Amino acid sequence: MYHKTTTTRKRLTDLLDPEFMARLDSLDVMSRKILQGKLHGERRTKRRGHSAEFADHRPYVSGDDLRFVDWNIYGRLEQLFLKLFLEEQDLTVHIVADLSSSMSFGEPSKALFIKKLTAALGYVSLVNNNRVTISFFADGIEGQLANMRGRSYLHKMADYLISAECDGFSHFEKSCRQLVSGRIGSGITIVISDFLFKEGYDSGLRRLIGQNYDLYVIHVLSAQELSPDITGELKLIDIEDADIAEITVSGALLKYYKKTLNAYCNELKDFCARRGAVYVLANSSDSIETLVLKYLRRINLLH
Amino acid sequence: MEWLTPFTALYAALITVPLLLLLYFLKLKRHEHIVSSTLLWKRAIRDLQVNAPFQKLRHNILLLLQLLILFAVLFAIAWPVLSMKTGQGRRYVLLIDRSASMNTIDEASSGYSGRQSRLEKAKEQAKVFVESMRQKAVFSLKDDSEQTMVIAFDDHAKVMCNFTSNKQQLIYAIDSISAGHGKSSLSEAIVVARAFSQSPGDEADYLNQEEPAKLELFSDGRISDLLELSVAADEITYHSIGVDSSKNAGITSMQAMRSYENPDEIEIFASVFNYDGKPLETSLQLSVDSDVKAVRDISVPSSGLNSETKKEEPGKAAVNFSLSGIESGVLEVRLLYEDCLDCDNTAWSIISPPRKLSVLLVSANNPALESALKACPLAKLEIQPPEKFDSMDQTAFGFENPYDVIVLDNHTNEHLPKGRYIIFGQPPDNIDVAVSGQLENQVIIDWRQKHPILNYVNLINLFAAKCCKMSLPRDAETLAEFSETPALALVERNGSIFLLAGFDILETNWPFEPSFVLFCYNATGYLGLQVSQQQKNDLKVGEPIAVEGLSPGLEAKVTRSDGEKEDIQANPSGIIRFADTSHVGQYRLSISDGAERFYVVNLLDAHESDIKPVKELEISNSQTIAAQKETISRANIPLWPFLAGLALLLACIEWLVYNLKVRI
Repeated sequence: MYHKTTTTRKRLTDLLDPEFMARLDSLDVMSRKILQGKLHGERRTKRRGHSAEFADHRPYVSGDDLRFVDWNIYGRLEQLFLKLFLEEQDLTVHIVADLSSSMSFGEPSKALFIKKLTAALGYVSLVNNNRVTISFFADGIEGQLANMRGRSYLHKMADYLISAECDGFSHFEKSCRQLVSGRIGSGITIVISDFLFKEGYDSGLRRLIGQNYDLYVIHVLSAQELSPDITGELKLIDIEDADIAEITVSGALLKYYKKTLNAYCNELKDFCARRGAVYVLANSSDSIETLVLKYLRRINLLH
Repeated sequence: MEWLTPFTALYAALITVPLLLLLYFLKLKRHEHIVSSTLLWKRAIRDLQVNAPFQKLRHNILLLLQLLILFAVLFAIAWPVLSMKTGQGRRYVLLIDRSASMNTIDEASSGYSGRQSRLEKAKEQAKVFVESMRQKAVFSLKDDSEQTMVIAFDDHAKVMCNFTSNKQQLIYAIDSISAGHGKSSLSEAIVVARAFSQSPGDEADYLNQEEPAKLELFSDGRISDLLELSVAADEITYHSIGVDSSKNAGITSMQAMRSYENPDEIEIFASVFNYDGKPLETSLQLSVDSDVKAVRDISVPSSGLNSETKKEEPGKAAVNFSLSGIESGVLEVRLLYEDCLDCDNTAWSIISPPRKLSVLLVSANNPALESALKACPLAKLEIQPPEKFDSMDQTAFGFENPYDVIVLDNHTNEHLPKGRYIIFGQPPDNIDVAVSGQLENQVIIDWRQKHPILNYVNLINLFAAKCCKMSLPRDAETLAEFSETPALALVERNGSIFLLAGFDILETNWPFEPSFVLFCYNATGYLGLQVSQQQKNDLKVGEPIAVEGLSPGLEAKVTRSDGEKEDIQANPSGIIRFADTSHVGQYRLSISDGAERFYVVNLLDAHESDIKPVKELEISNSQTIAAQKETISRANIPLWPFLAGLALLLACIEWLVYNLKVRI
């Protein structure tokens, strides 16, 4: 057991700093709503269940379990009422990470940053016995590690994350469609991507927002994208679809680029805010610790 | 500031500026750069283009520099000229001397660059003058332009270009002046210049025609008719061409003739003048048909001041050659001395074969005359009675006369064909010699002993029992006189020569005198000489080649001294005339009937051989015209080289900027 733990930690330390992991141990994923889970977990849900905590009464209907009839009330009122209890359930954490070709861009690359972030969130979730599903998407769902629960999955998760590679054209809407079709229950969906989709992110995000899931959008951009350091006459080639844009870098163009980038981020943020999702912009050159311990706690994804 | 060709630049600008802008956007070789997505960039470009369409143009220093370079080049093409000439626009006549002395190639060390002839230097100065001329130009601040005319002259004046302000036309006219070997004579050029000054010129514009045109003379001053010129000294500006240090020697006269006593022997005489301050030791080469026959060393003294005239005179030397056994050919005398003027170092002469005459004697019966003519060295003597002579088709004599001399013994004819006649007795009617009766018992009182016809002829004993009393026209030449009438006379009429003896020799004692035979010998010889003299082969520069008595329309070809050929045709009078003998050397006339004739053209002019440039021209009325002290310099500055330099500088800056990748 000891050996297994050290191996896991050793592998996971390729992505996360042990000290950082130690600090993560004290955190847990928090859903803004009490959501329905599959198993009796450590969390209260609105669904009436079998926990010891009384929630409400409702009139008895034919077929109800007679064990939950409140006989005291029947004795008093001669009417059958059923006692309803709050049921404590587990939380499903669905991490959806972008691993298309564009994520390999940046110094350090956005892919590494995403892997680290996924590892950190996965770690927190697994440690707290949440149900964790990690999905990578590019042109559709490229890989999935579903329904992990408990520390025992740390090794598998680390192994999976490290071995994943960026490739392919990103097709966000298609990926979301596939994801939603395989998603049941409720919980948290965390989408981590650069959101630079030519066909747009709207329809994809709309699909994820429905149902009983909290949606967290973590927008990861590299420093080179946030503040480009290029000069001269350039032919820009899109890393995914080889699309070409010929530019002459000038102060005015850079100004317009930053303006466009800000507008794009704000647009995404507004889109999320209007639909109850939470948006976070992250710079891939920033430290993952700061993001997790500071920003994600601030938006109450972690507590 | 003037712009000489602004519209050329304007057209060029219309083409090149849009082309540059177009090329600028096409030419860029962009570096490839991989990005995660072009999504945001494309949006940014679109925004930029929408919001600031001229942003790129305004902030791109490379394009700005390229435009500046282009504008500098375009302005250079517009040929801006900074004119420093002020005052009213005038008219000028450029008189450019192209005589023989202008062929002089002055010493290279004398300040002129290269080995140029004086004519080339004169043309260069004339071109500088033309380029400095103020021209009516578009965008010019001043209105007046100057007009110039170009005249080239040697012994004749040739108008190369009428008054115009078109510099290109003037420069082309100056360039087309070619050197000749003629004498220089300025008076005709001045007459022509004055005549043209009255005309309004090519542009026919406003210039005041009453104001006399200013004459600009480009010459070495070796002009033969300066003293005959009547010009005001301030009317003419003299630009002296050439330098004093140039040396020259030349053949100034040459003659070749057959010896009178021995026709096989040819005497050649040549005189050589030395215009250098040092004595000349050199050789004179004699050749016949390019075959060297003799080389004679000569020493010519240096030039010096004549103590009587106080004028500088050349050193002179004379050379005689004697040749024998030469039938005919082209004789050349060459001075084997390299000097600054080449065309006077050679002289030519044509040697004709000794001519034997064909003589026709028209006589009823005159044994004395027959025997005397038979004693003469004639090629042919034909004797015909008068009746037969009258019945001959005398029009056939016109072109190809078979007889060199016709002797008429007491016979005349109303229509004598063109020819040379010895007439004894009654002279013909139509030669303006009036006969007013007969005289008797006449003795000779005088005769011209030195005339070739009467050479060694002693007429002291001549007695005529009867003779005609003749009244001669004024131009007749009386050779011998009786007491009351001319005895022997030469009359030239209608292209014929008549030697008149106004008596019947059988009525005199002359047949018994030895002088009669001598007279016949001399007379036929003299008239025969007239035959060969009629065809003149030795010409001076400018004298025309003329051949008479040919069929009208006959074609011929002239080969000039420089080898060029020219076709000519006989005129309706049967005369071929070729006037372009402006260069010394041999000329060949090939007539289509097969005959080939040679002509030589010589300079033989002591005035032209003296190549020392004259610094002060002495003209009539003791006026003098001093040469301009300085050569002509440009009075306007073309600005295009500066603009071209600016374009080059800007190109360098652009290169630097491009390499430094300066981003604005």
